[in-house]
This record gives sequence, structure tokens and C-alpha cells, in this order.
Amino acid sequence: MNKEELLSKLKTIISPYVQNEEGLKNLNMHTDFIKDLEINSANLVDVVLDVEDEFDIEIDNESMEKMLTVEASIEVIKNKLSI
Amino acid sequence: MIGNDIVDFQVANQQSNWQRRGWLQKIYTDIEQHYILTSENPETLIWKFWSMKEATYKVHQRRFGFSPRYNPKSFQCTLRNKVYVDSEQYNLNTEVNKHYVHSIAYISETSYCTVVYKNENDVYTKIKEKIAEEFDISIVSIVKDKNRIPVICMNKKKATIPVSLTHHGDYTAFVFQKSK
Repeated sequence: MNKEELLSKLKTIISPYVQNEEGLKNLNMHTDFIKDLEINSANLVDVVLDVEDEFDIEIDNESMEKMLTVEASIEVIKNKLSI
Repeated sequence: MIGNDIVDFQVANQQSNWQRRGWLQKIYTDIEQHYILTSENPETLIWKFWSMKEATYKVHQRRFGFSPRYNPKSFQCTLRNKVYVDSEQYNLNTEVNKHYVHSIAYISETSYCTVVYKNENDVYTKIKEKIAEEFDISIVSIVKDKNRIPVICMNKKKATIPVSLTHHGDYTAFVFQKSK
């Protein structure tokens, strides 16, 4: 799976929680979930759970701490998938 | 140092399904989960603990200058209005009613000013008025620093008045410290 495929899957996962649609249109590696997409902080845990389900991985607390941006989340996923 | 967080119950229960598999376990410690699951009203305790964690996060992050992170489980709530994180202890004042829960976290006894608004679109103006009144000054502005922490400026100079803002659903609140 390449970066574009990961990004596209991540975009599908986060979409239901996004409160700023403009931010979603301009989604890129530097997008911040809270600042740019206005995802409610309690919904970040849903993003983490959805990522676990979609990629069949387990995200530990240490990795979850970082998952505030697209780039950090993709890094976590790649790391867990060892790609 | 002071921080606050508000949760609108109606919106929270729409936005989150706490019964989703893994949801509680990712956010709450084993002890917190025990309190929640044995409570007569789990939703209230879930959002009470959540707001306590968020309010404490705001104080703890700015106190030590940490960059943003998502670690709600590191903040351990007790039923006696204390939150522990990284061997630090914080005091909480929490107001719960049927519409919302509002938590204020602080380090040591301090006097502060806090207001909760319903459907207020211009909380910045309100808080500026309150600060101007409290400190008997005229020109106040609020800017955000690189970690998006609000900083109060008086006469264009950064002041050292700790302030925190929070918004969720229909409710907005702020708190600022009156004295050290």
C-alpha cells in the first residue's frame, strides 16, 4: 500500500467526524485533525478505533498520543503494518 | 495556571457512542471504567471524567510547554475532584447539571472568574469586558500562541493572566485567574 492509498483510506475514515468541510477539501499530510478539520477531541478515539478496524492493527497508547495530524497517523499505520 | 472544559450532554451523546467496543478502554483507566460501569448514570460520569481530563490537560500542557498530544488515559481522575498525571496533582471544581458539565482545573488555591454562556457567539468580547472590569484597564486583546493557547494582551503587551476558553454544542465558557 502506498502513501496515496493510505491517505485515501484515512480520508474516508475521518470524514464522518469532520466539522470543517473546507479542511477536508484541502486535506494533505500537514492537516491537523483538531485545528484544520475541527474534529471533536472525543471523536479522535473513534478515528483511532476505525483505523484499527480498517487496517487490522492494534494502536497502543504511545502511538495514539501522536495521532493528531494526517502525517503522524500515516506514520503510525505504516509502522504497525511494517511498510 | 488554570484550565477549563465544558461538555454539552445532548451533543456529546449524539457525537459519541461510548458503548462502542474499545471506546472506554482507550480513554479511561481501569479504575475510572469501574466507577463508570457501576454508576447509576454512566453517561454523566463519562463526560464528567472527560471534562476533568481535558481541563487538566490544558493546565498541564501549558505549565510544561508540551506540544499537543492525545493521551486522555494518562490523566487519572478520582471521585474526590483530583486528577493525577506524570506524578503531578491537580485540583478540580466541577459543576454538573442536566445540560452540561463544566470543569475547572488548577494547581493551588486561587481565586478566579468564570462564566458559562448558552448560545453566545461572541465570547471574546464578553471575556475582554470581564478582564477590563476586573483589572481596571481599557485595552485588552486575546491572541493565540503557537500551541493555540490563548494569551491576554493589555495595551499590546502580553500579560501574565492565565485564561482558558471552552466551547461545545450550545455552551461556551471561560475562566481566568484573578490572583496568584
